[in-house]
Amino acid sequence: MYDIKNKSNNSNNLNVNKPVPFIGKGFQPKTRSWMGYFVFFIIIFVLELGTSTGVISSLTLPKPSDVLETIIQLFQSGLLFKHLVPSILRLVIGALIGISLGISIGTLIGLFSYFRSGLVPVIAAIFPIPKIALLPLFVIWFGIGEGSKYALIALGSFTPTVVATYGAVDNVDRTLIRMGQSFGLSWISIVYKIVLPGAMPGILSGLRISLAISIILLVAAEMLGAEYGIGAYILEAGSLYDLERLFAGVTILSLLGITVSVFVTKLEQKILKWR
Amino acid sequence: MNIKIKNLNHSYDKSKVLSDINLEIMDGQILSIIGPSGCGKSTLLRLIGGLEKPCSGEITQIGSPPAGCLNAMTYIFQDFALLPWRTVEENVSLVLEDHSLSNEIKRSVIDDVLDRTKLKDFSYAFPKQLSGGMKQRVAIARALAVNPAVLLMDEPLSALDSQTRELLLEDFINLWHRKPFTAVYITHNLSEAVRLGHKILVLSRRPGKIIETISIEKPIADRKLIDKDLDQYQKHLWNIMHDEARAADAELLNV
Amino acid sequence: MKISRRKLIVLGGGAIASSALSMPAIASNKKIKVGALRFTSHSASFIAKERGYFKQAGLDVEFEFFQAAQPMAIAIASGDIDYAVTAISGGLISLAEKGAVKVIGGALSEEEGIDGQKFLVSDKAYKAGVRSPKDLNGKRYAVTQSGSSFHYMGSKMAAAENINLSFVPLQKVGAIIGALKSGQVDAWSIVPHIAKPLSRGGSIHIIGNVADYLPNYQITTVFTSSNNAKNERALTKNFLTGFSKGVDDYASTMIDKNKGDAGVNEMVDLIHKYVYTSRPREKAAPSIINGTMRLSDGASLNLASIKNQLEWFKSEGLVKKSITIDTLVDQSYVKIIS
Ligand SMILES: Nc1ncnc2c1ncn2[C@@H]1O[C@H](COP(=O)(O)OP(=O)(O)O)[C@@H](O)[C@H]1O
Ligand SMILES: [Mg+2]
Repeated sequence: MYDIKNKSNNSNNLNVNKPVPFIGKGFQPKTRSWMGYFVFFIIIFVLELGTSTGVISSLTLPKPSDVLETIIQLFQSGLLFKHLVPSILRLVIGALIGISLGISIGTLIGLFSYFRSGLVPVIAAIFPIPKIALLPLFVIWFGIGEGSKYALIALGSFTPTVVATYGAVDNVDRTLIRMGQSFGLSWISIVYKIVLPGAMPGILSGLRISLAISIILLVAAEMLGAEYGIGAYILEAGSLYDLERLFAGVTILSLLGITVSVFVTKLEQKILKWR
Repeated sequence: MNIKIKNLNHSYDKSKVLSDINLEIMDGQILSIIGPSGCGKSTLLRLIGGLEKPCSGEITQIGSPPAGCLNAMTYIFQDFALLPWRTVEENVSLVLEDHSLSNEIKRSVIDDVLDRTKLKDFSYAFPKQLSGGMKQRVAIARALAVNPAVLLMDEPLSALDSQTRELLLEDFINLWHRKPFTAVYITHNLSEAVRLGHKILVLSRRPGKIIETISIEKPIADRKLIDKDLDQYQKHLWNIMHDEARAADAELLNV
Repeated sequence: MKISRRKLIVLGGGAIASSALSMPAIASNKKIKVGALRFTSHSASFIAKERGYFKQAGLDVEFEFFQAAQPMAIAIASGDIDYAVTAISGGLISLAEKGAVKVIGGALSEEEGIDGQKFLVSDKAYKAGVRSPKDLNGKRYAVTQSGSSFHYMGSKMAAAENINLSFVPLQKVGAIIGALKSGQVDAWSIVPHIAKPLSRGGSIHIIGNVADYLPNYQITTVFTSSNNAKNERALTKNFLTGFSKGVDDYASTMIDKNKGDAGVNEMVDLIHKYVYTSRPREKAAPSIINGTMRLSDGASLNLASIKNQLEWFKSEGLVKKSITIDTLVDQSYVKIIS
């Protein structure tokens, strides 16, 4: 009551000077990159402390320093490259096949209504299939060697690339295509000089997803018949319940993921420098 | 080269857009077309440029395009339509690449049009680095590069602020003065229409019919921003357009 | 695969708490969970349950069925099951090293005079002239995973024959059989009741016996959590008592044929409740009978074989070099054969 009275009195009082309160605080996310490292460091530190004091049992999690040691040993013994080289080869070849096919088919779908009507339902049907489930089938089709591994990774990276590509082609500014036509550019020129460069940002963000999926599928691909490979190494560590090796393998896989992501970022910077 | 349009009609589905259009575009002259929005101006331009086919009527080229013309009917778009991943120079080069021209010829054409549009210093800039006025200059340079028989311009200045518009208008007039070209200039801005047009065509609201054609004798180079001679034309045009514009406005609301 | 992280943590962090909570196992129908695979080699447990031997030992046994041996070891470690029978694997040894599981007895073993595990080759390899294990130099040998018993058998044989094999991990028995039939891998080893029917099709051939290279091989062992082995001695003893009675019945009926064909038939009926349940009895019976192998008497353990296996895992770098036989085996429960 008193307040209300007071307020109504003040409302006419022009002698009171008060700065306008700042109410626009917060809700503006900024990037603080050190925070990521900090959280990472804290987690590792807590794990190290917990595992070395025994609060966290060795059955639950490995000691981070032991994991690091395992990685160093792996490196020193040369085994790291013995595992890494075939994995990277599988990743590169599989993803290359999947992504180049994906971009081609995606562009065809984007450009031609017959392809669109014919293939979009097929792609929609393939997309949600867990590709891992098809591994035994691929073994029969492509053999237990590298063929089935390439096929699995290729199929896994193919579908998201197709979808990203034709979406990107659809989103190319139609007035640019009209412009090309009005200047009498040939069909080939319009595709190569207008449609594909215009679709490139969308294709590249699709590439990010495709490569991440490829890494996930790498482990699955190496389930069958791989003696060497990071995925095989992780699976072996899992079956041996060797947590140090398991985490060493997972760490290497994460690093591979980060490397791939940095690669895509660099590629984007190079190809999309006009943005 | 002249363009002659005879008894042209055009409709989309059942709605008629253009009705009984007859006109001639004269070589070396600028034809302004004005009309309320939605009356079919852009459609008419697309028909002239061959991007669409008229439902009935004829559009004929009389005479042949000038020597060295690479693209007879050449557009300049309202939103510039520059490729953002190409530099200024590469955007101009785009329209020459499909023609078998020697590198020296290409180079000299590019240099010439960039020079004429005062873009020499921006050859290597990307579109996103340029202001709206600069971008439209690039689009004009690109259009000039193909040495067109007819320039088809669909409200080329309407995406720009009024000062930039005035500057570009002056540049445009200079360009024409130094080397006259044939152009169809669509606008809804009456002062632009009277500044640039040798002839001004007024379209009614949809379906667009020609309701008035006026010619302005005063040389384009002599016309000014504030110009008593032009005022009377502008007033006259506004009197014609006033009712059409109001009706068109109300019509849109009823849709 | 059943594994709960919660239980893993409880086990690691609070072993004392869990042992304090569990009641002493007097003959009081104590509920326990036993992990099993639907294989004839697990018959002793089935018999002990069906014939009430577990009940006599004061245990109310509930079976938890698994698809593979490896997850059983993890389920023991997580406390989801109490006892299980499975082959010594790298995973089992690692879990023992982490203080989670202990081998307490023996089950299936190779014995002279009884049909044991076989080496198999694909038709392709057979046609290429592979007639005995020594012809397998440079060939592709199928295993489920590195550090599995298949890996052990192949590796031991290769060492004895002084040949090189490349081991192909295929995760599942089904995948291995498919790969063998289509000639994608060259060789494998497996228990007789799987080996024999496979060889009848003509696409797979038997070329040797595992026992020739690994006589008295202790194939499977009985194991439990370290906590049970250490703090639940009575319960563990009761389990082994019931289990051993099952083994005795199995051996006397199926191997020594003390009760004649009628006894065999009756036991096949019993086992058929658990194994090959999707097949009619007439079809299941030959497989069950063919699968008969020696289950160690009184769950006795062939320590020499276990040591040999442990050494092999160490030499292959599959498990830590520091692991001793006592980390893996609690020798206080059953008769130890050396
Ligand atoms: N492709 C098309 N399909 C159907 N209707 C169209 C199409 N293009 C334009 N129209 C219609 O034709 C009329 C004229 O359009 P437009 O020529 O763009 O007018 P303006 O440029 O004079 O504003 C409008 O009512 C518009 O909705
Ligand atoms: Mg328009």
